[in-house]
Amino acid sequence: MRDFYWNRHPDSPFATLIRIATTYLHPEVDELEALQKLVKRESDEMHTFKAELRKAINDPAQLPDDELSKHVRYEDGSPEAFLRRLWRDLYGEEPIDTPEHP
Amino acid sequence: MAAIDQSTGHGHIRHEGWVTEEANMRRAVYLEDPAQLDMTKRLCGIDGLKPNDKRHKCAELATRITDPDAFATAFTRGAEHPRVRAVIATPYDPGVWPNPILIPIADLLGKDGHMYCTGWQLEPVDGSMDAAISNRRAWRTAMAEGRRPDVPQPAARPVPTFEGGTLLFLVGHNQAQDGYEIVNMYPQPRDDDLCVVTDRSSDERFLLEPAPR
Repeated sequence: MRDFYWNRHPDSPFATLIRIATTYLHPEVDELEALQKLVKRESDEMHTFKAELRKAINDPAQLPDDELSKHVRYEDGSPEAFLRRLWRDLYGEEPIDTPEHP
Repeated sequence: MAAIDQSTGHGHIRHEGWVTEEANMRRAVYLEDPAQLDMTKRLCGIDGLKPNDKRHKCAELATRITDPDAFATAFTRGAEHPRVRAVIATPYDPGVWPNPILIPIADLLGKDGHMYCTGWQLEPVDGSMDAAISNRRAWRTAMAEGRRPDVPQPAARPVPTFEGGTLLFLVGHNQAQDGYEIVNMYPQPRDDDLCVVTDRSSDERFLLEPAPR
């Protein structure tokens, strides 16, 4: 890998999602509990992360090629399965379709 | 190396020369953690560093720097690299892990530095690395539970070269929980040096006997 996706495409609509998922969930890090605490913070970054995760679940075809897979290397078998599992791990039973700021 | 060993990191435990080529391969294929010194647990895929017998995880690659001098040199030069220094100097937040950093191998070990690196890549399943990683977990779980796996046995092949590759640095929390430090460092090949199989007659896939339970 020459450089990370978020450095190559800092303005991508999924740059924050891929960056944070990589930083906390890549197998060499594996810090889901830390991410679970982090997402409870009321910050612009966490709002962006949640919005991007919601957008990716609702329309995974928008994700850039296989960048999520190549960066995070999840064991779920597909980006769709990973994203839905991640939502459950982070936000529990909260509906995916409910907008953050209606 | 003694200083590295005093840190919270595990780069020298999983990605340095003491890990044999076979152990590195078995990590990629069977999720056997070379840091796990209890062989029964290692063969069951239990992580050697995390508490409570957590299952070991590995990406599609298991890589290492084969020479201790080269490993220590890369680590020391990386620790002095401006991009790493900038991350370590970030104001400490106990709830935040800094983003990983990539530095070209040649920048830290010279133009031939890639020759100190070896690694194994999980064999894709039907062209998919997602499927290969998922299958490997299913296979590992079935074997650990004494069941017959209903997925293909995992396989891996050597990374052909690390020329043009990078060293990935992970920065995390120090022992005192009051600052950041390097917690992992391992080599990565260039993207386009992976998954390229054009001549099956020279196929070097390794299908090992399943580890005994």
